[in-house]
Amino acid sequence: MVTRRRFLQGVGAAGLALGLERCTARAGAVSAASGSGILVVVDLDGGNDWLNALPPLSGANRNAYDAARPGLGVPALSLVDLGGGVGLHPDFTGMADLWTAGRVAFIPGIGMDNPNLSHFVSADMWGQGAAVPDGSGWLGRFADRAFAPADVLRGISVTSDLPVMLRGRERSFVSISSASGFVYPASLRGNRLGAPWEPQLLEDGFAQAVSSRAVDVAALLGPDGQGGYDAGAAAGKLFLDAQNGFGTDGTLPARTPRVPYPGDAAYPVRRLDGGNLSGSLSAQLKLVARMLASGVVAQVYFTRIGGWDTHANQAVDHPNLLRTLGGTLGAFYQDLATIPATDGTMQDKVMVLAWSEFGRRVKENQGGTDHGTAGLSLCLGNAVHGGFAGFGYPDLGRLDGNGNMLHTTDFRSLYATLLERWLGLGPAETDAVLGRAYPRLGFL
Amino acid sequence: MADLSPVASWTTDDVLHLGRRAGFGLSPAEAAALAAQPPAAAVAAWVDGTAASTAAFDAVWADRADPVWLPAVAASASVAGSVGVPAVNAPHRYAVDGADAWRNDLGRAQASWAFRMQYHPWAFGERLALLWHNLFATGGTKVGNAALMLGQIQTFRAAGLARFDDLLVAVSKDPAMAIWLDSVLNNARGANVPNENYAREVMELYSLGADNGYSQADITQLALALSGWGFVVDATQRVANPASPNQLTASAGTFRLQDGTALPDGTYLWNSLGTPATAARNMRVTGSRALITFLGRSFDVSTAPAGMVPGEDAVRSIVSSRAANCASFLASRLLRHFVTGGFTAGDVADLAARIEALGFDLRAVLKELLASAYFFDPAHRHALVEGPVSWAVRAARQLGMDLATADAQAPAKGFPAWALVATPTFEAAGQKLLDPAGPNGWREDRAWLNSNTVRFRTKLAAAVALGETFTQGGVAVPIFPSSVDLWFPAAPADPSAVFDGLAALLQPGPIPAAVRDGWLAALWPAGTFGWTAADRNKARELAFLVLCSPAGQLY
Repeated sequence: MVTRRRFLQGVGAAGLALGLERCTARAGAVSAASGSGILVVVDLDGGNDWLNALPPLSGANRNAYDAARPGLGVPALSLVDLGGGVGLHPDFTGMADLWTAGRVAFIPGIGMDNPNLSHFVSADMWGQGAAVPDGSGWLGRFADRAFAPADVLRGISVTSDLPVMLRGRERSFVSISSASGFVYPASLRGNRLGAPWEPQLLEDGFAQAVSSRAVDVAALLGPDGQGGYDAGAAAGKLFLDAQNGFGTDGTLPARTPRVPYPGDAAYPVRRLDGGNLSGSLSAQLKLVARMLASGVVAQVYFTRIGGWDTHANQAVDHPNLLRTLGGTLGAFYQDLATIPATDGTMQDKVMVLAWSEFGRRVKENQGGTDHGTAGLSLCLGNAVHGGFAGFGYPDLGRLDGNGNMLHTTDFRSLYATLLERWLGLGPAETDAVLGRAYPRLGFL
Repeated sequence: MADLSPVASWTTDDVLHLGRRAGFGLSPAEAAALAAQPPAAAVAAWVDGTAASTAAFDAVWADRADPVWLPAVAASASVAGSVGVPAVNAPHRYAVDGADAWRNDLGRAQASWAFRMQYHPWAFGERLALLWHNLFATGGTKVGNAALMLGQIQTFRAAGLARFDDLLVAVSKDPAMAIWLDSVLNNARGANVPNENYAREVMELYSLGADNGYSQADITQLALALSGWGFVVDATQRVANPASPNQLTASAGTFRLQDGTALPDGTYLWNSLGTPATAARNMRVTGSRALITFLGRSFDVSTAPAGMVPGEDAVRSIVSSRAANCASFLASRLLRHFVTGGFTAGDVADLAARIEALGFDLRAVLKELLASAYFFDPAHRHALVEGPVSWAVRAARQLGMDLATADAQAPAKGFPAWALVATPTFEAAGQKLLDPAGPNGWREDRAWLNSNTVRFRTKLAAAVALGETFTQGGVAVPIFPSSVDLWFPAAPADPSAVFDGLAALLQPGPIPAAVRDGWLAALWPAGTFGWTAADRNKARELAFLVLCSPAGQLY
């Protein structure tokens, strides 16, 4: 067995910058059952300054880091040594334990060619995940191949929007932002309205309207062919279809996690400047756990935590975000162990992928960091071969003309690995979804 | 090609289209009256807001627009001088700005704006503010101050028809924007590295578009030019919570360079309202770094041209140095908001050419666009998906009571309780007013619709059409007061007439005949129609179905 430490030592003084990635095979690891893996995506929206989450601990990279980060740099003495000249921020709650247990793979330096430093362009590219982007998302295209069009609950965003990542060419996942009331319309079924309203009549009428295809859309909407009616009908149809199979009467069974999440009374998480941290990600992952416990058939879930655009006040905001992220992922991972699944628990069935559209500028401004390039992704789960994955930690002595890191791993390699080794697509299908054969990573 | 020449005549249907796209809907009677006027002059008056008196609105707005009671606020037991604030158990003004800024209630601020959209006689002004709110998208959660957010919306009303470079400067000096994109923290003094946040987004999102005529070096240079831009708060703008007087809130702010110079007595720094400051912190770029090269032109931003502040001419130069890029960017946004999502590159070029020719004068551009053959092209009618706030406001405007009728209702005024629905539903329906998630705003058109947002539109439609009530003080009050008899001043003769009347009010896209017939057959089995109370309730159900149908999302 190649241990993580042996691998890291083998890479040598230059750290991971020169090394081909390799991860730790580990006793007790779950193999990725073909086609059965569930993926929970966590979008770190805004551009995570991962250089402060996993700062260089020693060597030339540390010297460059110290020079660029006189105010915001995390002192080496406070870091947890991950080996290979890389440390872990002490506020990245719970990650040290998960690392030691071999449950987390970090992919530093992940990115794309010709980054333009725009949140929106970069997030869009990450969402589309294609050699030649066409407006559809990589998980949506996975769904195109894996599921029947009417099988709408196979992918769920628990945000109110439908991210491009989940949009296919031929079908779409659904957005469900709360666990109750996903029926038509909830207020009509509750006590707020009594007689004389007739819920069933309204529901049937709505169903009739959104299901109607007895119209010539092009004729209705003119020569530009903008199918607004179709968009409305499709969205309404998804809404109706999603009721079927979503709990009883559109409401999931209540569930109280046995594991406290950040923001719970039993797990107060204080900000460095006082006050409580946001519980938004906790709420989303609790909802995902509730869906998993309820037997919802989704294979893909999408969540989002914002606030990572730390142009200013980073010394306070970024550690707070790391506390929230680490604490919430740790709680979710533990919570999964309490949810039974076929042959074990959901902890064996679920993989978390956290990603951000870019990393941030190496050199700090006055109190923050501006937009950068190469980012960090992490995968968490029992199937993960823990360690560093990808093709190396960027060399901070070799930056681009704007002072940004050069990426070492193409983000589509991460997607290829997940599609083939976790979500169950064949190699050729995986390459077809992404539009090219990207090298697979070793964490799965 | 976009035919931007003015239409010589128009129909009531044309006017209804204008009302939906450039306002929040017109009744058939209002449209018929407007259709009797020549189009160009009527559109100009519509844009200018000169056609209607605001006196009645102003009177309601001043003291009774919000029918939802305000709770009491108990005086602090530990803070000297605190005074409890009694409950307000009657209609009252939206207590979120001015002297009430201490309440700092984003939900109430959202409600107040929705109310203005519904009732303000200058509907185009509110539509314009909504347009600019989406372009210059500023998030209330980070700003943390509802009064400053509403102040920014007021800036959009005031400067939204100016020249685009004037608007760009006004937004750049806006306190909420200055907090949102960190201008207040952009410190380039000495060798400090500037904060690029605003400099990037003002080009990428607000004036040019990504990769459209600028470089990373331009971003850094503009960030230097705008270093130290911020605002201060004077004594009259500083508001204390009476129940806890050490909680201080800015009700407004005044643009100020943070350049180390002395401040007038009684001036407070934006982030330190407890004690007056004698000088603004010095965050300005100096020396050779103040000689910037931006978009190919050189500026000395240590000094200001006459009538400007240092750096302002750099902001203005975005429009002049990259006129073609800026005009194209602006044209795309205007077309997508007002006309169609299906515009061509040629359409953009045509409008962009007019924007440049008109010197980026937004008033002139919008008058021309909204009176053009291109705007009124029948192919563009009901070709856009309406945003949820506009959709809800328009439904409330058509099904609710007019201002005078609502004001005469008792015991509560008959005004919609926007405060009860705005916070829980606007966000879930995909448009959290005054608090977009990112500076890129909302994508509009078909992106408004997904399974989640449709679900919450049905909740809004239920509140508006079905007469849902809330209870306060033991009295059940409709959330959206309405009367079916006001929808139908003359009793409809049959179910088809009910449908036609509702379609005329709500103006959905074309509803397939089979769908309409199915609805009517289910609601009124043969021979059961008599315009009874039960039939009136069925008319509400039909209104609900029209609002929620696919065609009901188009405008």
